[in-house]
Amino acid sequence: MSHVEVAKPTDINIPASSLWSRLPVIGGGLGIAGIGATLAAGVGEHGQRAMFSYLWAFAAVLGIALAALGWLLIEHVVRSQWSAVFKRIGESMAASLPLFALLFLPIALLGMHALYPWTHETDEILEKKRWFLSNEFFFGRAVFYFFIWSLFGTLLYRFSVRQDTLGNDLAARDRISLGLRKFSAVGLFFWVLTLSFASIDWLMSLQPHWYSTIFGLYYFSASILAFYAFLTLVSMALKKAGVLQQAITIEHYHDLGKYLFGFTIFWAYIAFSQFMLIWYANIPEETEFFLVRLHGGWEYVSYALPVLHFFIPFFFLLSRHVKRNPKVLAIACWYTLFMHLVDIFWLVMPNAGGHGAHSHLSVSWTDITAIVGVTGIFLAVMGVFLSKNAVIGINDPRLSESLTHENY
Amino acid sequence: MATAMETALPNDPKIRGDIVLPDLPVGREELIRGNHSFHEITEIVCRVNEAPILATPKPFIFGIMLAGSVFAMFGGYIGYLYWEGPGIWGNNNPVGWAWDIVNFVFWVGIGHAGTLISAILYLFRQKWRTSINRYAEAMTIFAVLAASACVALHTGRIWMDYYLFPLPNQMGLWPNFRSPLEWDVFAVNTYLLVSLLFWFTGLVPDFATLRDRTTVTWRRLFYGSLAMGWRGSHRHWVTYEKAYQILAAFSAPLVLSVHTIVSFDFAVSQLPGWHTTIFPPYFVAGAIFSGFAMVQTLMLPARAWLGLKDIVTVKHIENMNKIILLTGSLVGYAYAMEFFVAAYSGNDYEGFTFLNRMGGPYWWAYWIMVSCNVITPQLFWFRKIRTSVAASFILSIFVNIGMWFERFVITVTSLHRDALVSSWEYFVPVTEVLFLLGTFGLFFFCFLLFVRFFPVIAMSEVKGVLPQANPHWEGYHKGEGHGHGTAEGAGGH
Repeated sequence: MSHVEVAKPTDINIPASSLWSRLPVIGGGLGIAGIGATLAAGVGEHGQRAMFSYLWAFAAVLGIALAALGWLLIEHVVRSQWSAVFKRIGESMAASLPLFALLFLPIALLGMHALYPWTHETDEILEKKRWFLSNEFFFGRAVFYFFIWSLFGTLLYRFSVRQDTLGNDLAARDRISLGLRKFSAVGLFFWVLTLSFASIDWLMSLQPHWYSTIFGLYYFSASILAFYAFLTLVSMALKKAGVLQQAITIEHYHDLGKYLFGFTIFWAYIAFSQFMLIWYANIPEETEFFLVRLHGGWEYVSYALPVLHFFIPFFFLLSRHVKRNPKVLAIACWYTLFMHLVDIFWLVMPNAGGHGAHSHLSVSWTDITAIVGVTGIFLAVMGVFLSKNAVIGINDPRLSESLTHENY
Repeated sequence: MATAMETALPNDPKIRGDIVLPDLPVGREELIRGNHSFHEITEIVCRVNEAPILATPKPFIFGIMLAGSVFAMFGGYIGYLYWEGPGIWGNNNPVGWAWDIVNFVFWVGIGHAGTLISAILYLFRQKWRTSINRYAEAMTIFAVLAASACVALHTGRIWMDYYLFPLPNQMGLWPNFRSPLEWDVFAVNTYLLVSLLFWFTGLVPDFATLRDRTTVTWRRLFYGSLAMGWRGSHRHWVTYEKAYQILAAFSAPLVLSVHTIVSFDFAVSQLPGWHTTIFPPYFVAGAIFSGFAMVQTLMLPARAWLGLKDIVTVKHIENMNKIILLTGSLVGYAYAMEFFVAAYSGNDYEGFTFLNRMGGPYWWAYWIMVSCNVITPQLFWFRKIRTSVAASFILSIFVNIGMWFERFVITVTSLHRDALVSSWEYFVPVTEVLFLLGTFGLFFFCFLLFVRFFPVIAMSEVKGVLPQANPHWEGYHKGEGHGHGTAEGAGGH
């Protein structure tokens, strides 16, 4: 409801001298090297552990890109105005989703046997699950997920970039915003279902006997939390590179910090709900999940997660001063991202010992190469999308409200 | 930004609030229509409360007498229950929980919308909440009272209910602290207490307004004591705003925890259909869903009868319908996920329970639930429907029905087929309809009293979202500011 037209930012293109414009090369190089090394180990004799490293890195980073897509869809549907300055950053993350189809190929082509016991084992329960857990259906679903994510991720970016060129044509500009809103409402429906079922397919079925109805929500909560941390860090890094100096203010960081705080609680709520109900009812079909995570060194991770991923960030982020101090907020974001990696590690890695066997907590060099590789590729592609166009939707009708955003 | 549209609105307050303005890509329409001054808001809201007792409209007297007699019937029913015991219900051997618990969960769920509106929407800076929060909070209080009545009456020996509290006694008997039924006692009581405090804190400035306006002694004493010496000074407002924010921050997790614990009543068991990990967030979504539907059911007639259409406009109705659509879809997601996992798990008992829900003896209850909770709310995707007052009212009734049946499906259908065929029994209610009716009597009796004597709109908050509450309002430059009363906005007069 601002009646004053605010001056639009002019520092909206990444300067060629900054590290950002070299990111595609650096990230791509690191990515190919990291993924190459991981997969080279993966096809070797003891390749199973390396494939788990790869799946872990894939799931952790994909979650951030997927949450970016969901965040955009939600912001469009609710006509969010405060967040307009961040929109292009989120779009660049979501636009990189087609890449993940490519990153999924090693899992589909090399990793199925190593990762998923249901591909080659059989017993009475697995036979009952065959209708869902079969290679054909599994790959068919994966194709569908990537189609949906690529479609929405790409189109949201494209339309937003087209809006950049419509400086004078207000009617066309508004039409895009209104159209994207309807498009996003449809997208949300598909996004919720594909995200849930992708997490069931790729993570829950690692332990094919186990089931939990909240699992999709668990992956969602973990991913969206990591996304807010990542978005905050990227916007800070962009400011450091000399763009959006005036556009992104403390007020925006304050709100991002609130989301970080809120989703820290949400993650804990979902994680607690899952644990508490399984622990209390103590049914063997379900306790299997926590059983493997309470042995072989994994118990330390299990006990640490509520403390390190909830209590510490909860009390840290509670204060208004923390959320309004970019330097301190950045620490919270790095920390949250690290804990996200630990959280997904805890979901994926205890299954590395094979079905029925308890694996021991271990960190392998392939974990490092996998996470560096997948992150590198993701950053490279995101960097391409960020530097190809302005880093802000300059003709977004909601921008002026966002530029003058205040917390009150 | 939408001022051009708003000047084109007709001058008739009876229809002005129902006119749908076009959906803009940016900006917000004015929350309150009719360019009212601070004083006019006070007049609109206080008119209902300030009418002399003898001038109470006849339909209102009829309504309160009807609700009062149903409430009185409930008193008689409680006496009957006290005398005869729960044998007056149709509960049988496998179905040990039926309408008593169904009614409890139904009412406590309804309460959640009030807290969501007053606390969570407040934390999210959703200013449209100011037009509906008072009403919804009152609904919360009375719904939680009705829920408490249900749960206190389901225990069997209701004269021993004080054992629910951990009172030291000579027999050394303590409640079972590991039982979620015991956590319920604490959760619901805390919820009632905090909701009451929150509601009362918001009411204080408005009580002061009523106190200052009245010319009748008993009203001055009544509102004066409730206003607790409010003078509307800056110091008062600073304290008030801080207290309000702290209460909101407390209420937000509280509202989630209450229904989470209600879901634990079922989910910590090992019964298929009750035990599933998605229950906590699913119950919270369902509670908000049912609560918003009840707000609509109560608000839509009231805004017409009490002349509040300028304050509760079609935009508010649309926003609430969107929340109904969202939470209804979340509930649909939970149904689907439960169903999928029952099929995916390969667990025969899970599979049986869900197929039995769909096609077993209670198939009708299941399909009422699905139709009212998942299918009909999807009509709110269409703007025409979610901005239609009549459609909103009808669909809100559907949701109320659907959510009652959801609790019935969860409670009764999961119980009526035990693991052994010898423990299968069909549940038929006996006198329970009077039980449910009685809680409605309790609810509406309290609610109508509230409407008659308490301001149904948070006047001071609504004044805060008027354009002239903004210090940069254009009208001040044009000299319109005078007479709109700056001091009056502070709850005086």
